[in-house]
Amino acid sequence: MISAVPPAFIFILGGLLLPLLRARRLKQVWLLFIPALAFADLLAMQSSGTYWIYHFLGYDLVFGKIDTLSMCFGYVFVIVAFLGMVYALHVKEDGQHVATMFYIGSALGVVFAGDLFTLFVFWEIMAASSVFLIWYQRDKAALGAGFRYLMVHLFGGSALLAGIIIHVSTTGSTQFGVIDYGSLSSLLILLGFIINAAVPPFHAWLSDAYPEATVTGSIFLTAFTTKSAVYVLIRAFPGVELLVWMGAIMAVYGVVYAVLENDIRRLLAYHIISQVGYMVCGVGLGTEMAINGSTVHAFCHILYKALLFMGAAAVIHVTGKRKLTELQGKNLYKKMPICLSLYMVGAFSISAVPLFNGFISKTMVVAAAGELHRPVIYLLLHLASIGTFLHTGLKLPYGIWFGKAPQVETRDAIEAKEPPLHMLIAMGMTAFLCIVTGVFPHILYNLLPYPVHYNPYTPYHIVGMLQLLLLTAAAFWLFANKLGGEPTVSVDTDWFYRKGAGLVMRYCYRLNDVRTGMQTFASRVVEGAVVASKNPIQSVQTLFFRKKSVLSPYDADAYRQAIGVGVMVLLVLLCIFCVILFFRVGKLLM
Amino acid sequence: MTRILRYLFLIACGLAVLLGFLIHVKHPLFRWETIPAFDAAFGFLGCIIIVLISKMLGKYWLQKDEDYYD
Repeated sequence: MISAVPPAFIFILGGLLLPLLRARRLKQVWLLFIPALAFADLLAMQSSGTYWIYHFLGYDLVFGKIDTLSMCFGYVFVIVAFLGMVYALHVKEDGQHVATMFYIGSALGVVFAGDLFTLFVFWEIMAASSVFLIWYQRDKAALGAGFRYLMVHLFGGSALLAGIIIHVSTTGSTQFGVIDYGSLSSLLILLGFIINAAVPPFHAWLSDAYPEATVTGSIFLTAFTTKSAVYVLIRAFPGVELLVWMGAIMAVYGVVYAVLENDIRRLLAYHIISQVGYMVCGVGLGTEMAINGSTVHAFCHILYKALLFMGAAAVIHVTGKRKLTELQGKNLYKKMPICLSLYMVGAFSISAVPLFNGFISKTMVVAAAGELHRPVIYLLLHLASIGTFLHTGLKLPYGIWFGKAPQVETRDAIEAKEPPLHMLIAMGMTAFLCIVTGVFPHILYNLLPYPVHYNPYTPYHIVGMLQLLLLTAAAFWLFANKLGGEPTVSVDTDWFYRKGAGLVMRYCYRLNDVRTGMQTFASRVVEGAVVASKNPIQSVQTLFFRKKSVLSPYDADAYRQAIGVGVMVLLVLLCIFCVILFFRVGKLLM
Repeated sequence: MTRILRYLFLIACGLAVLLGFLIHVKHPLFRWETIPAFDAAFGFLGCIIIVLISKMLGKYWLQKDEDYYD
C-alpha cells in the first residue's frame, strides 16, 4: 500500500512540474489532478498523531500534526483548491497557477505543521506566493496594493519569528500547541497571527489587496490566508478574552465599511473581515461549542465566500466593470440569470438563511456566546448578521444585476453574457456543497474537534432568523435607492502607511539632496587636489596670476579600471582567506 | 408581477412575526428571548441603525474622492 505524504508537498511539487507540461489540455488535467490527489492523500492519513518528523540542526521539524482540527481545515482547503482550479481553467499564464499551487501547498503546510519553525517557513511561503496572485493583474493599482500586502505580511512574519525565537529560547520547546498568553513571546506570536486574520486595526491589507487581485486569484486569496490564521489561533490561543472583543468588533467593523463601498469585490472583502470576526470571537470564547463553531464556520465560510467571489469575479470577467456605479441599472439579470442564481446561493449562505450552510455554522458561534451569557457579544454578532444580509444578500445583487443608474450619461448598455461554462460548473459545484452541508449539517459536525450537542434546526432558531432577515429586507426596501454605490473610496487604517509613506519618501528625497550636495562638493575638492598636486607651483600661478594651465584636466575615469581590478583581486583573496579560516576555526571548535 | 412579489414579501414578514408569538423558549438565556418578535424588531431597527451610522461616518469622515491616494 502507498503511504501518505505531506499534502503541502503534493501541491508544491505539482506547481513546480506544471510548466514542464506542454499541451494545454494536459495542463488543465494536471490542475485538477493535483487537488484530487491531495484529497486522496488526506483520506489516507486518517490516524491522529505526529508524522513526518525530520531532524534538522538539532530541532525536530514536524510536517504532520494530524488530529480532527487539522484534518477539518485540510479537507476544506483541498476542496476549495479543486473548485478554484475548475474556475481558473481558462487562465493561460503558468506563473499564476504555479503561485496558486505554492500558496495552497504552504497553507496546507501551516495547517499540518507540528512545530513552530515549520509553521513559520510555510507562513512566509504563503505570503510570498500569494502576492503574485495580485501582481498578475498587471496594472498599477495591483502593483501598489501587492507591495503594501507584502510589506504588512512581512512585518507580521517578522513579529511571528521574533516571538518564536523568544518562545523557543525561554521554553526550550519548538512544539506548536497552546501558548500561554501574557508573555512577550506570546504577544508577538499573537500579533503575527492576528495580522493574517485581518483583525482591525491590522486588517487594511485585506480590503486593499484582494479586490486588486486577478479574477481567479481573488478566489484563492479569500480561502487560505485568513482561515489558516484562524486555525493557528484555535491551536495556540483558545479562550483568550482579548480575542472575544476583537472578534465581535471586527464583525461589526467590516459591516460598517461595506455600507460605503462601491467596488464589488472590496465590499465582499469587508465581509470576509466581518465573517472572520465570528471565528476569532469563537476562539476567544474558547468553550468546546465555540471552538467547534469557529471551525465549522471557517469550513462553511470558505465555501460560500469562494462562491460569492466567483460570482463577482464572473461579472468583472464578462463586463470588465468592477464598480456598483458602473453596473447598477444595466439590468444584467436578463443576461446572466444562472450566475445571479448561483451567487444568491452564496449570499443566502453567508446570511445564514435556514437550509444554507451559514445557518448551521454562524448560529453555533452566536449560541456559544449565548451559552456563556455574554449579552453584548451576542447582540454585536447578531447586528453583524443583519449587515451581512443587507450587503451581500440585498445591496450587492440589487446593485449588480438590477438597480437604477445614478446618472443619465451612464445609462448606455454594457456587454454581458453568462460566464464561460467551466466557471458556471465551479460555481454550481460550490453552490451544491453550500446547500448539502446546510441541509445535512451532520456531515460537517462529524468532522469537528469536539462532540456536537447543538441542533441549529429548532423552531426558535428558524423563526428568529427568518424574522431577522425578512425585516432587514423590509428596512432595505425603504433605503434601496439611497444604498446604491457612490464613486468614492473610504479611508481605512491603511491611510497611515499610504499617506505616511509619502512623508517618509519626501524626507528621503531631502536626505538624498543633502547627500548629492556633499558628494559634489567632495569630488570638486578631490579634483582640485589632484590638479594641484601634479604641479603645485603652476596651479598657484593659474589660481592667482591667471596664467593659462598647461596641465591635462582632471579625468575621473583615468585609473578606474586599474583600481577596479585591484579591488576585485583583493576581494577574491579575502573570500579565499575567509573560507580557509572558516574551515580551520570550524575544525578547532569541533 | 412585482406587485404580487411585494404582497408575498409583506405576507412572509407578517407570518414570521406571527410565528414568533406561537413559539415559547423553555430556558431563555437572555430576557429578550421571552419577547415575541424581538428578532424582527432587532432586524428592522438594526438595519436602519447600521445604514444611518455608516452613512454618517462615511459622509463626514471616511469617504474621499476616488483619486485620493494618487
